[in-house]
Amino acid sequence: MNEPKPSDGTVEIHLQVNGHTHALRVEPRTTLLEVLRERLDLTGAKPACDRGECGACAVLLDEQPVNACHWLAVQAAGHAIVTVEGLRERPEFRPLQEAFVAQDGGQCGYCTPGFAVAAYAALRDEPDPNPLALRWALVGHICRCNAYEAILAAIQDAGGRMRSR
Amino acid sequence: MESPLHIVGTDALRQGLAEKVRGDARYTADLKRPGMLYGRILRCPHPHARVRAIDTAAAERAPGVHAVLTHHDATHGRIDADLAALDPELRYVGDEVAAVAAETPAQAEDALALIRVDYEVLPAVFDAREALAPDAPAVHPGGNLVDGQRVIVERGDLARGFAEAAQVFEGTFRTQVHGPVGMETRAALAEWEGDHVTVWKTSRAVHAMDRPALSRALGIPPERIRVICTNMGGGFGNKDESRLASIVALLARKTGRPVRIEYGRAEEFVAGRNRQSTENHLRIGVAADGAPVAIELQSVMNAGSYVASGRNVTRRIGQGPVYLYRCPNARFEGATAYTNRPPGGSFRGLGAPLGHFALEVLIDEIAEHLGVDPLDYRLRYQVPPEGQPGQRTTPPGQHIPDEPVEGGVPFSSNGLEACLLAGAERFGWRERRQPNGTATGPRRRGLGVAMGVYKGGVGREAQALVRIARDGKAHVAVGVVDVGQGSTTILAQIAAEALQMPLERVEMTMADTAHTPPGHITAGSSTTFSTGNAVKLAAESARNRLLEHAAAMMGVANAELQGDRFVARGDEQRSLGIGEVLERLPEDVQGEATLVVGSSEVIVNAFAAHFCEVEVEPDSGRIRIVRYVAAQDSGRIVNPRMAVSQVSGGVLQFLGIALREELLLDERSGVTLNPSFLEHKSTAFVDFPPIEVLFPAGPDPLGPFGAKALGEPPVVPVFAAVANAVANAIGVRLHEVPFTPKRVLAAINAQQGSAR
Repeated sequence: MNEPKPSDGTVEIHLQVNGHTHALRVEPRTTLLEVLRERLDLTGAKPACDRGECGACAVLLDEQPVNACHWLAVQAAGHAIVTVEGLRERPEFRPLQEAFVAQDGGQCGYCTPGFAVAAYAALRDEPDPNPLALRWALVGHICRCNAYEAILAAIQDAGGRMRSR
Repeated sequence: MESPLHIVGTDALRQGLAEKVRGDARYTADLKRPGMLYGRILRCPHPHARVRAIDTAAAERAPGVHAVLTHHDATHGRIDADLAALDPELRYVGDEVAAVAAETPAQAEDALALIRVDYEVLPAVFDAREALAPDAPAVHPGGNLVDGQRVIVERGDLARGFAEAAQVFEGTFRTQVHGPVGMETRAALAEWEGDHVTVWKTSRAVHAMDRPALSRALGIPPERIRVICTNMGGGFGNKDESRLASIVALLARKTGRPVRIEYGRAEEFVAGRNRQSTENHLRIGVAADGAPVAIELQSVMNAGSYVASGRNVTRRIGQGPVYLYRCPNARFEGATAYTNRPPGGSFRGLGAPLGHFALEVLIDEIAEHLGVDPLDYRLRYQVPPEGQPGQRTTPPGQHIPDEPVEGGVPFSSNGLEACLLAGAERFGWRERRQPNGTATGPRRRGLGVAMGVYKGGVGREAQALVRIARDGKAHVAVGVVDVGQGSTTILAQIAAEALQMPLERVEMTMADTAHTPPGHITAGSSTTFSTGNAVKLAAESARNRLLEHAAAMMGVANAELQGDRFVARGDEQRSLGIGEVLERLPEDVQGEATLVVGSSEVIVNAFAAHFCEVEVEPDSGRIRIVRYVAAQDSGRIVNPRMAVSQVSGGVLQFLGIALREELLLDERSGVTLNPSFLEHKSTAFVDFPPIEVLFPAGPDPLGPFGAKALGEPPVVPVFAAVANAVANAIGVRLHEVPFTPKRVLAAINAQQGSAR
């Protein structure tokens, strides 16, 4: 995306994403999701509702999962953002990825990175979660292919893989 | 004897899933091109209007704006019979008026507000029956009856059947507007290079639909258009049938820059394509012994303002009523009406879940009236393997349609009874089911059963190219789109099996008009059967050519593959390793196939029997699904784990629609009231129990390695299975989907009222 001219109400922010700090000029109304996707080409977070209703754009903000469409980029400045592209470089992501594939925890895959980010945070907080707690932890994520049972199996499988490492 | 299978029938891992988990898989809206602009669309605020004048000057001067596109720029051919690339006549609230391309999404959105449109507001009609009345406002110049005619199909002599009936049962069944709601919204990106254009888009038919539609809308031959679908974020029978790709390509041509547009969620709900509402009146006459002797369904489908799939959605309402029960006399008549509602289109199962809802609920009422267990009634009168009674009407030598009507034609395979028996056993039907309405207390349990019949996957022209390269890889090229259902994996398994090669050595290329042979639309659950058969044939042909090369290298007449060596037939001592043969090949070995898969002798259909247990609160009208068993006859299952995902996902999707999902429209303004995930709630993680999936049927003789259709059949019986379970729990029949608490309470009150 072309850099907007500074005269038209844009502000400069320093956004820390996946360990790198980016100096960017943005309009104050620009969402974190748009900056990640269109300015930084980090497209793992998916746009699906643009109003925090589906979880497809989940990223970690100071290690907590948030919907990137629900944060303005100017609000996110000063926080540490980790997208799925950053998360996958961590060793704990590998068992998660393997488990999603092994359990067929996704069909069209559009919601999958969002689920993976949320699952990462859920397993970090509770390495051996009970299934019902996991369902409620991820209730804000919609999968229209309805792969929920396989996603649940994948996250439990990933927890097992992490614990046995 | 059939040779054992090594790859078909195994749980091969879904291809591409690792990339998806990691966020590496690029979907259309993830793509960027150098200098790319962002487009946004101006939508009509009136349900019916004509553009008198449009002033784009202020928008064109706005910061970052490169062009504004109006109907004056869209002067070539039409996308579809009822759809121009842009049209001065606007037919629903949300119809496309103009589009802007700018340097940022926000600039494009801001510029939309600067376009001045002088609308002549026209009278609107929202109700299908009103639209079909003689004095109704015409939504399209040709009138409101789509294609100017109703769908009528019949078998036998309906009047005679009803005359012979000992009893006649009837009911009116309604369904509301169903949104497919793929998580990915529609998106398209176009880039011109000279007089050639490349369009990346969400698609289910890059060859069969997108390229010809773009050719008409742009006024250039198809050879100058390349269409690519990289990854699809959920199809569900949807994601095309709109103006989006044409608008993007026209904007890109006008600006000289690549342009991308992706719909917002509200746009997808309103300007995407939804399965519109229907009203279905069903009459069934039964003989003294209870056997159906006449079945008649009359349907009216509200098509909304545009309906690219035409009368196909309506036609499929009739599939179950005309064919699921053995009955000499059957007739379906369906009218499809244009209205000023948002556009209609296809969604998983088309009309089949709607017609099955009516049929399977009324059949349950008949069984109850006759004092027969509804499972026994179905076991007794289900359509048998030999098909319907009567005379074949398809001329000899012609393919039998897989939305069959005629009698006298058997099925290629029919596992309906196997599904009923296996499902009932797993579910504990015999042990657990009590008579309807005998449960008591504030929460009442009930069990229901419903069946389904659906297209088996034949009838589309399919092509495949299989090339064995000298590096030992097999490259399979097919033009169909994997819409997220997993056809990449399934077709690779079929290819590997036919090639007798490890799956890891098969590489798939799909959904790119520049690198694949023509492919059919991903619709009608046809990919596994139609393209699967083409892949199998092309792979066998490539393998045979490889065997010929190996035989020639050994100087013998015939060779066969044993493990990783080619062995001379009749002389086991002479052999060559695969690597040696590949190395010495003069060129890559290629096999290709083009065929219209079908049969002139048999019907190819898929079947299902579903069992549902509910808990109903008569005081609140709330329904909870307690247990659900889905038994499917889809022939041999190519990949059991993925098939379970497919069936379970389809059932869960339609349980959400059965209980809750409905797009609402304000009929004073034509405005869609709930175009968001919050107000139109999809099935979520905590809503339903795990679906128990069974595949009790055997292989089909015509399917590739015995496989039949799987994508849509699992959604067909769901509404009726739930409704019949509710009837069992509280003794009340539901005739309108979705079964919201309000509708359940209304049905309870209506029954109590009539009982007084």
